[in-house]
Amino acid sequence: MRCLVDLLESSIAKKISVALAGILLVGFLAVHLAGNLFLLAGPQAFNGYAEHLANNPLLPAAEILLAALFLWHIAAALVARAQNRKARPHGYQGQRAKGGRTWGSRSMTATALLLLAFLIVHLKSFRFAPDRSDLYALVMKDFQNKYYVGFYVLAMGALALHLSHGIQSAFQTFGVNHPRYTPWIKRASVAAAVLLAAGFAFLPVWALVTGGAR
Amino acid sequence: MTLDAKVPSGPIEKKWDKHRFDLKLVNPANKRKYDILVVGTGLAGSSAAASLAQLGYNVKVFCLQDSPRRAHSIAAQGGINAAKNYPNDGDSVWRLFYDTVKGGDFRSREANVYRLAQISSSIIDQCVALGVPFAREYGGLLANRSFGGAQVSRTFYARGQTGQQLLLGAYSALIRQVGLGKVQMFTRREMLDLVVADGAARGIVCRNLVTGELEAYSGHAVLLCTGGYGNMFYLSTNAAASNVTATWRAYKRGAYFANPCFTQIHPTCIPVTGDHQSKLTLMSESLRNDGRVWVPRKKGDTRAPESIPEAERDYYLERKYPSFGNLVPRDVASRNAKQVIDEGRGVGTTKLAVYLDFADAIKRMGENAIREKYGNLFDMYEHITNENPYKTPMRIYPAVHYTMGGLWVDYNLMTTIPGLFCLGEANFSDHGSNRLGASALMQGLADGYFIIPYTLGGYLAQGALPEMGTDHPAFRQSENDARGRIDKILAVGGKQTPASFHKRLGAIMWDYCGMSRGETGLRKALAEIPKLREEFWNGVSVPGSGEEFNQTLERAGRVADFLEFSELVVKDALERRESCGGHFREESQTPDNEAKRDDANFSHVAAWRYQGAGAEPELCKEPLEFEHVHLAQRSYV
Amino acid sequence: MNFTLKIWRQKSAKAAGRFVFYQVSGVSADMSFLEMLDLLNEGLIAKGEEPVAFDHDCREGICGMCSLVINGQAHGPDKNTTTCQLYMRRFKNGDTIIVEPFRARAFPTLRDLTVDRSAFDRIMAAGGFISTNTGSAPEANSVPVSKPKADAAMDAAACIGCGACVAACPNAAAMLFVAAKVSHMALLPQGQPERERRVLAMRKAMDEEGFGNCSNEYECEAACPKGISVSNIARLNREYARAALFFPDHAESGKS
Repeated sequence: MRCLVDLLESSIAKKISVALAGILLVGFLAVHLAGNLFLLAGPQAFNGYAEHLANNPLLPAAEILLAALFLWHIAAALVARAQNRKARPHGYQGQRAKGGRTWGSRSMTATALLLLAFLIVHLKSFRFAPDRSDLYALVMKDFQNKYYVGFYVLAMGALALHLSHGIQSAFQTFGVNHPRYTPWIKRASVAAAVLLAAGFAFLPVWALVTGGAR
Repeated sequence: MTLDAKVPSGPIEKKWDKHRFDLKLVNPANKRKYDILVVGTGLAGSSAAASLAQLGYNVKVFCLQDSPRRAHSIAAQGGINAAKNYPNDGDSVWRLFYDTVKGGDFRSREANVYRLAQISSSIIDQCVALGVPFAREYGGLLANRSFGGAQVSRTFYARGQTGQQLLLGAYSALIRQVGLGKVQMFTRREMLDLVVADGAARGIVCRNLVTGELEAYSGHAVLLCTGGYGNMFYLSTNAAASNVTATWRAYKRGAYFANPCFTQIHPTCIPVTGDHQSKLTLMSESLRNDGRVWVPRKKGDTRAPESIPEAERDYYLERKYPSFGNLVPRDVASRNAKQVIDEGRGVGTTKLAVYLDFADAIKRMGENAIREKYGNLFDMYEHITNENPYKTPMRIYPAVHYTMGGLWVDYNLMTTIPGLFCLGEANFSDHGSNRLGASALMQGLADGYFIIPYTLGGYLAQGALPEMGTDHPAFRQSENDARGRIDKILAVGGKQTPASFHKRLGAIMWDYCGMSRGETGLRKALAEIPKLREEFWNGVSVPGSGEEFNQTLERAGRVADFLEFSELVVKDALERRESCGGHFREESQTPDNEAKRDDANFSHVAAWRYQGAGAEPELCKEPLEFEHVHLAQRSYV
Repeated sequence: MNFTLKIWRQKSAKAAGRFVFYQVSGVSADMSFLEMLDLLNEGLIAKGEEPVAFDHDCREGICGMCSLVINGQAHGPDKNTTTCQLYMRRFKNGDTIIVEPFRARAFPTLRDLTVDRSAFDRIMAAGGFISTNTGSAPEANSVPVSKPKADAAMDAAACIGCGACVAACPNAAAMLFVAAKVSHMALLPQGQPERERRVLAMRKAMDEEGFGNCSNEYECEAACPKGISVSNIARLNREYARAALFFPDHAESGKS
């Protein structure tokens, strides 16, 4: 506990920890997306994958770790945000950027809140659903609801924005900055953010339009 | 009264070593019993404060900016000289000494200059160890460049920001001592008076610029490191807040002011654009390597420079000085620009400029070669003037940028008031009547890092100074005097701004006591300054009170002192009926209009002693003897 | 040219402030922004009104004394310049210009547009130096420094300590300032002996002053009049992580 407080006390340690949790979460999202793609292969494949995952004895530990990463990422970012507000008690009359900020970096808080809301809904409808025997049917039912799909796609848009700043920002935070490679890291992280979010968003749209795999 | 410079005896090479041995030492355990007040945090002040704190003294530093790092040493561009002889081109302590004495036109003290040259090497060592990122060769060793007329490459530099990097080095040493608790830092404080008690300097009175409170501080010695007084001319390359107040107050408490008329005017500055201009920006002298200086032959020629045919241009430096051409020394280049402008041949909208034309160089070497060499300067010029110097000639004009005069100090850097020391540009220094390029930084750091730590100890070890707090009557006296001056300014309640008086004073000084000085003009200035001063005391407007952050009051106080001080400058200029270095008396010139010294009558330091308000100051002389450098007349034709 | 100025006026650190409108006319395009303010103040003083207080000194972009947030941008709209190097030709005749002080809890306003930036000095006092006593330096050429490294150190050392990075940062963080100093010394061999202690101590001092957290928005670099790169912040992060993970006991060493 003491060491977590130390982490929060130091601005640099805190941001490294937020970035580290964030990058691990991006890794989780990549795996998650790979799993989701089983939807394309139909109910048997998807449910089989889900079952296989559920039977893995390491799952509870992984879920706890995942939850801890999310909580830390959110909590530390909230502490930082509160400190930042305190650091400028009196704002400017319309602060104008001089060329550093991006859409992604500007909207970090907004996208984070939207993603948090999405996460809660998402966990409630899938992870903590009362009956998870036919997960495929459960998913497809929600994916046939155009409001749900709309919300899902919106959230994935937020994810793309969040990660477009988050991934490259993590490299900077880890101290990786080089005149030759940093421009590529920035491009690659935008590409990764868009691919990841598009991959997730594709499935509900696909399900809504085509009615799912036959 | 004769002035005793206390120069040690013996051969010149051994004087400083011998003196350091002869100076008494302060027991390390006793050093912490001494409080030292350092006013000003430029190169001299910061390096002195850091070095003294390291020895164990309790140091208090004062500066009028919000941080010691902002002192105007920061603006020095070119470099710092040292006799390292890394390029193996024949440099030596002796050569640096010789060049400096000769460059100063034989008006400096030989022993001081020799010591400066001796110390120069250690300064570079010290700065490198502090992390100053000097320019380096690919092999990793330090780079040198040539500078200002010297025939050897002895200038160390950090891009065009050498002053900044040296000051940040000294500041880091100072701030380390602040962290260790050995230095107490007082920022946004302006020294308004000196406290002299029982015949010794024992404290200062300063104004807290944020709250307006007057504060008194006592100590066993006071170091004034408050820079030069070039702002007396209103327009100069100095920072806006640079002023003469601290040294002027010390003068009025008994310190002699030496050679006040020795001011240096730099030939290549960006000219004045209009009445609203507050500051002149220096352009490196190196531009004259490739630029050609000219004005139209015809008076009042308003054509664009491109449409003036070759035959109607006057490349006056090349015409008058065929062998040196555009590369004549600073003072000669400046004077000639003034001459052609006075003839009505100035260029630009204000007519207060001459052309510096790179067209030939661009034709010869190509625009890219010029960009490579001077790109940053061309950009800076374009940024300020909105003109592209690759297409149209630059306009340049001379500007005041350094003052060689200052408080008189002996070999120990002590003024005529015991316990009052003066370092850096603020003292009358080692530059005689003309400073060589890249020597100001060297002198400031020599004084602070390597001279004062020894000589201050010698003073303190001499005898017991009585313990004295700020409750001593002398402190009351100085404090009341300072308060009286503030109240007097606030009570005027006129309609004119302090800056408007400053501007008018600057015009008088520039016209009559600037690049060339004639008896008639100087007498005219002597008549006009008191009139302007009277007008100031009847017409200045300072809104607000003294008990608050009041920048108008600060400015008014500085202008009031300039209005007194400038009169002494003019008197000194009038008294010195010879030309030497930056001091050009029209009556004393060679047949080809060059500065002509009069060694028989003026081979001395002119030090002025205050004799009370309204009384004529007394001129005291320190004779200068030249045993090692042969006196010679300069010629550049 | 004529302008309407909307300027922050505040009598003292404790007093409440407000915006006041001023008209300024007869401005020449060749005037710097500060000279335009001089013109305004000259008019105010002549009328017996209190002029607008603002910090300035060298007026050539090197001392770091001038500040100001002009139309929401630290040092105004131009890149790589300080306010004193901003010229009125950059504005359109008749513009309304909003002028505010640098705003941060660590930079309290003293009066009108002047702020107290002594927090920077305190960060420097915590570790922004190489502990070399006068007189003990080795011969300058005894330690070669590779030219690219010396150049990179110089790039970082060019910082003028004006505080625009803090003013422009959406979080009022001081990372670029601290990063510039840590980088300058970490790049030089002379800075190695105190490398770990320096970064640990300066980070601590920075946080204690109440600056915000860095979130890599890079507005600091965009506003920096000396164009100091955020790659220095990456280096600071690296230096800090290395020191905090492997040399935490260096934090207090070297204090005597």
